[in-house]
Amino acid sequence: MTTMLTERIIGLRCRSCSLLQPRDERYVCERCLGAVEPEYDLASLAASDLRSRIEQGPRTLWRYAPLLPCAEPVQGLAVGWTPLVRAPRLGAALGVDDLWLKDDSRNPSLSFKDRPVSLATARAQELGLDTIACASTGNLAGAVAAAAARAGLRAFVFVPETTEASKVAAAAWYGATVVRVRGNYDRVNRMCGTLADDLRWGFVNFTLRPYYAEGSKTLLFEIAEQLGWRLPDHVVIPVGSGALLTRTATAIAQLVGTGLVPDAPCRISAAQPAGCAPVTDAVQDGWRAVSAVRSPDTLARSLAIGAPADGDASVDVVKRSGGAAASVSDAEISDACGLLARTEGALVEPAGGVVVATARALARRGVFARDERVVLYLTGNGHKGFPLEPELREPVDADPDAFVAAYPEAGR
Amino acid sequence: MSLTIRIPTPLRERAGGARTLPIDATTLADLRRGLADRYPELAAVVLDGDAFGPAVSVFVDGEDVRFLPEDADLRSARLVELLPAMSGG
Repeated sequence: MTTMLTERIIGLRCRSCSLLQPRDERYVCERCLGAVEPEYDLASLAASDLRSRIEQGPRTLWRYAPLLPCAEPVQGLAVGWTPLVRAPRLGAALGVDDLWLKDDSRNPSLSFKDRPVSLATARAQELGLDTIACASTGNLAGAVAAAAARAGLRAFVFVPETTEASKVAAAAWYGATVVRVRGNYDRVNRMCGTLADDLRWGFVNFTLRPYYAEGSKTLLFEIAEQLGWRLPDHVVIPVGSGALLTRTATAIAQLVGTGLVPDAPCRISAAQPAGCAPVTDAVQDGWRAVSAVRSPDTLARSLAIGAPADGDASVDVVKRSGGAAASVSDAEISDACGLLARTEGALVEPAGGVVVATARALARRGVFARDERVVLYLTGNGHKGFPLEPELREPVDADPDAFVAAYPEAGR
Repeated sequence: MSLTIRIPTPLRERAGGARTLPIDATTLADLRRGLADRYPELAAVVLDGDAFGPAVSVFVDGEDVRFLPEDADLRSARLVELLPAMSGG
């Protein structure tokens, strides 16, 4: 059965020059070095069979195995099938009538990165690799470390030295070798690009990237299934590398192409922090080419990627889908994190605040139509450590009168 | 001045199998011209017309050429790294 699942792949196709090539260890196009993506023969799948197979599958991202490039490994983490919830109180605050949250902060290592890493780890195991690795702003390091622990693989994770201590600590507790590197993410990325070329390790975001990126499709697959096999009208997505945004478009095309959902427009909007906004700036400057940001500076460190791999492709997806974009300041990001937590009980890392603040900016611009069903992607958990301290009052004595004196709003 | 170009695996076929190649350049324009003249197969994917193209990231002593001024002085530079443009988690 598992063999049948991956037989749907007919090869890797280059996104730049369209050359179809074999599914071997290559990770870029042999002709132009462009990005390659798995191509599937989905035409022979009957929608009703596919739907029932998915619905009978595990409550993890592996329920979508027929639409993924690897079969489910024997020893993986339970990733995916995260809640999709209505957010009426946040919607009222933002002025969005039909607002929903895809809470992907609830994955095993508390970010959506568990999804792409599931696919990359499965591919590493298919190839018989004994080590997986990554360049990371923090969340990916935790996801790689956790997946490696579960699969019995060795892990090396490379992060900028400024990465949040809580994220570094988590990766180390999972047993990974954590390499802190002087310099920003793009420097770490360059170093890892060279190492990936020298070592026969599974660098999830380099040598395994064609498989890794496919894991990001599963957020949208789940949203559509959770909505009763229909697409939302609009999704707002945080952009780091742009892989999540571009693979959301791929996922929509595959759901429509297989007949799992009715063909309907789904707009895709991009959210970035003002301190690192190469994609949203390109959209707002008239859909121009992406210019790399040399020194990202933002509270949302997980989005501090100055030279995004899928930057231009993201601009193209936003444009073709009829979406929009906004970038938001650090103050707006932390305000939005607080607003989300107070209105919906969801505590997210700053990347989630970027999405909520962007939704607010887009609502003010009138981007959302009345009754448009809007889904915000929440990709990382605030319990990993939030970079700002909340305002707290001094401790009180263990005495009811002392409490009432210090907290008059209690209203005894 | 002579620099060493480090060739990543996916590009080695275009470099006659070499892991490194020498090139003389004192400016970025020199570097591009040298690539086009001496290593045209490599230049076909590294360059896009007269500019560095989007498929390959080019670093001179660790610095992304996109952030170097066009008249950057390469006389004391040593290493040119080529990597498939792939960034982000």
